[in-house]
Amino acid sequence: MKLVKKKENPEIPTASMADIAFLLIVFFMLTTVISATKGIEHQLPQQDKKTQENIEKEDSVYIKVNADNTFTVDKEPPASIDAVGMLHDYLYPKLSNNWKKPIIIYVNPEAKYESMVAVLDVVKQLESQLMKEKNIPNLTITIPTQAEAETWGYQ
Amino acid sequence: MKIGKTKTVDAYIPTASMADIAFLLIVFFMITTVFQVDKTSLTLPRSNVRSEVVKGSAFIVVTEGGFLKVSDGKEDTHPIDQSDVLSFAVDLMSKNPEQPIVLKVDQNVKWHTVDQILDQLGQAHAKNLQFLTDLKIRQEKFE
Repeated sequence: MKLVKKKENPEIPTASMADIAFLLIVFFMLTTVISATKGIEHQLPQQDKKTQENIEKEDSVYIKVNADNTFTVDKEPPASIDAVGMLHDYLYPKLSNNWKKPIIIYVNPEAKYESMVAVLDVVKQLESQLMKEKNIPNLTITIPTQAEAETWGYQ
Repeated sequence: MKIGKTKTVDAYIPTASMADIAFLLIVFFMITTVFQVDKTSLTLPRSNVRSEVVKGSAFIVVTEGGFLKVSDGKEDTHPIDQSDVLSFAVDLMSKNPEQPIVLKVDQNVKWHTVDQILDQLGQAHAKNLQFLTDLKIRQEKFE
């Protein structure tokens, strides 16, 4: 009896390809977090710098964030933190003339964190505006801690 | 003239491109996937100025209740005592003196809590800090 051999074509089974692919999709969909993590950058002062100078309150722009959701800048009367935009109008002429003027943001320990962020945001906006308009490099922004403020005689 | 019978075509959904679409989606999710070290949900303060957080940044999280969590940027956040931030920061700085640190703080937290953290970070010679914020809807245009 003559046996007829069936010739089988070699092939890679791809039927399960879509299943594997969808399994991977589900995994990545579940683990993906599409939330852009962004924030305001801030450089902490370097304590070991020998060139560090003690700056007098009068030589700087002194912004004080108060506990009652208000802020004061230099000798101006206190204003609500909601009107923090006015800070821009005050700082712009001062800093466009002298960008080296240090900005000190003193925050009352009882003030809310968001009040400080609101003030810092305005200053940072001004910084990027000055950089665009006048090619002024980074402003000197300091947020003294309670211990530093006491040492420097601020508050 | 005799018209021939119209051939009936079997209805089917073409699935040949299924795998292609699936792999395209995989690539998309692979690229966009970020394994976040912290998943604490809190209300962040809002700001207009925001820059992207550097990958691998260390995290210090402060919840509304004043509880602290930290992560070195590789492992998930774990609770920590407020006085231990200094040793955590010193450890970080010894590994990488340029290590960026992200502060993820609830908007209602009182400043003295953040102040103590900043004080300890300063002692540890930390340099690059970032205050995590949400996008503020711009009301006033300065430009």
